[in-house]
Amino acid sequence: MDTELNAIEIRNLTKRFGNFTAVDNISFNVRNGEIFGFLGANGAGKTTAMRILCGLSRPSEGEGTVAGYDIRNEQEKIKRNIGYMSQKFSLYPDLTVGENIRLFGGIYGLNDRQIREKTEEMLSMLDLRQERDKYAGSLPLGWKQKLSFCIALIHDPRIIFLDEPTGGVDPETRRRFWELIYDTAEKGTTIFVTTHYMDEAEYCDRVSVMVDGKIAALDSPENLKTRFSARNMDEVFRIIAGRAEREERP
Amino acid sequence: MWKYLIEKEFKQFFRDPGLPRMALAFPVLMMLVFPFAVSMEIRNIDLAVVDNDTGRESSLLVEQCTSSGYFRLVTLCHDPDEAQRLMDENRADAILTILPGFDEEVSTGTGLPAGIKVNTVNGTKGSIGAQYISECVRMYLAGKNVNVPSDDTPRMEISEKYYFNPYMDYKLFMIPALIVIAVTMITAFLPALNIVSEKEAGTIEQMNVTPVSKTAFITCKMIPYWAVAFFILTACLAIAWAVFGYTCRGSIMLLYLFTVLDIIVMAGLGLLISNYSSNAQQAMFVIWFFAVIFMLMSGIFTPVASMPDWAQAITYLNPMRYYADAMRAVFLKGSNLRDIWYDAAGLAALGAVMVSWAIMSYRKSD
Repeated sequence: MDTELNAIEIRNLTKRFGNFTAVDNISFNVRNGEIFGFLGANGAGKTTAMRILCGLSRPSEGEGTVAGYDIRNEQEKIKRNIGYMSQKFSLYPDLTVGENIRLFGGIYGLNDRQIREKTEEMLSMLDLRQERDKYAGSLPLGWKQKLSFCIALIHDPRIIFLDEPTGGVDPETRRRFWELIYDTAEKGTTIFVTTHYMDEAEYCDRVSVMVDGKIAALDSPENLKTRFSARNMDEVFRIIAGRAEREERP
Repeated sequence: MWKYLIEKEFKQFFRDPGLPRMALAFPVLMMLVFPFAVSMEIRNIDLAVVDNDTGRESSLLVEQCTSSGYFRLVTLCHDPDEAQRLMDENRADAILTILPGFDEEVSTGTGLPAGIKVNTVNGTKGSIGAQYISECVRMYLAGKNVNVPSDDTPRMEISEKYYFNPYMDYKLFMIPALIVIAVTMITAFLPALNIVSEKEAGTIEQMNVTPVSKTAFITCKMIPYWAVAFFILTACLAIAWAVFGYTCRGSIMLLYLFTVLDIIVMAGLGLLISNYSSNAQQAMFVIWFFAVIFMLMSGIFTPVASMPDWAQAITYLNPMRYYADAMRAVFLKGSNLRDIWYDAAGLAALGAVMVSWAIMSYRKSD
């Protein structure tokens, strides 16, 4: 395996919960610096797979590396090299914007001076300078998500995992959020993103579509559209995900 | 890393709308209200007297009883049925019946024609009430120089001396126990709820994807509550001294030592509860379950020695039993570590089990 080329390499990954196989023998690579879209209907196994990659869950079978570290026994090393933004706002609502930045900076081992610099840099990038002393819980959803994104990047990780980062925000905010993603990718960070919005899938370098715990398709949006003779990713997704047999799990 | 986590916990603690106020109100409530409220001293026993004699002597006996301060005279009647009716209606706790010829018999010393009947729905109140009445009668007779019952048996002098709490002050007895309850509640249950609420909010997930170690995360979470526990202990001791004039007879350091041991056990338990609960409701219920069992089986309200054997066996698993016993021994008797090493050993053993179980069951990943 060439870790110089690939940020993530996964071989025959399976995760079972009792009799239920959430992730069924999937294999894929994510190249360094690419924006990788991870699509699938609810219950297709996206979140489970992503949790394994982030070191939150152990695989039942299979092997792989994330940022060059083994997903089975080097989870803590993986965590040092990735950022994670969950679909639910999970910063501390009773800490201010500045305090949240300081907390996560400190956890990733930045010292006070580095934290101060990072805070300035992030606040001006997000245009949140006025809100520095406001409680994170009181920000509008769009700003919360931008703040979560920046905090996930505070330690300059090699890979950032975004779990439905733009859920529930207006199209304008989504567009600006994707500008942030592009800026980050340009600096060389690998982006691993799940989304429900098929127009966002078009922005990815490559996408995979999960159906019933398996990867049903993996290619660039252009190639997928050609292969399924579809006009856009929405059609591609409907053709592939239409074959699903599994019931949606809550 | 620790610095930032501890800073976070303290900020969150002080920003919570309820917690800081609770930490302040707890010791005050515990020391100023509960010692009176949880008193087991029996007072205000409603007494009905059936006086069939109506002589001078019988009214002196009645006065002896009422002036003791333990009784409230409900009625002074001549009809036993009326007194019984009062007891049936729950308006009288005890009936003192004085038979005809009381005057005479007291002066001749032939017998004691008085009867006592008590309502023992509340067993403690009933039996203590009966004792009080007999004591009043005895003292009354003693004043009369009448020998009761007869003088055939050699007389035995019983002298009583009460050690450590000479006035049998129930408040003094309860103060160390109330400290035990306050410290236990704060150190076990608040951190458990705190961790479960981070689970519910999803913030713990964000922590779990960071390289922060579980020991660091959990320990930092506990530290503010430990600080609060020491604050409560100190505040309670100060209030007990300032308001009641009670001071610890033993070493105050020993009180703190036992508090540290108790904190370790309780931290383990709190963590266990949070590991096995997925939401605050579950956690609350489990906490409530343990809190009730711990308190009722701790010896704080009822002596462990008077429990049946199987119940006594259960109390060996109750950290509050050791902690309460030790705190009372140090505070009231001035015991040193050699006197109560078994309490320390019990807490240490429970602590070792709880903490290792808690750490084993806590996972950052599944």
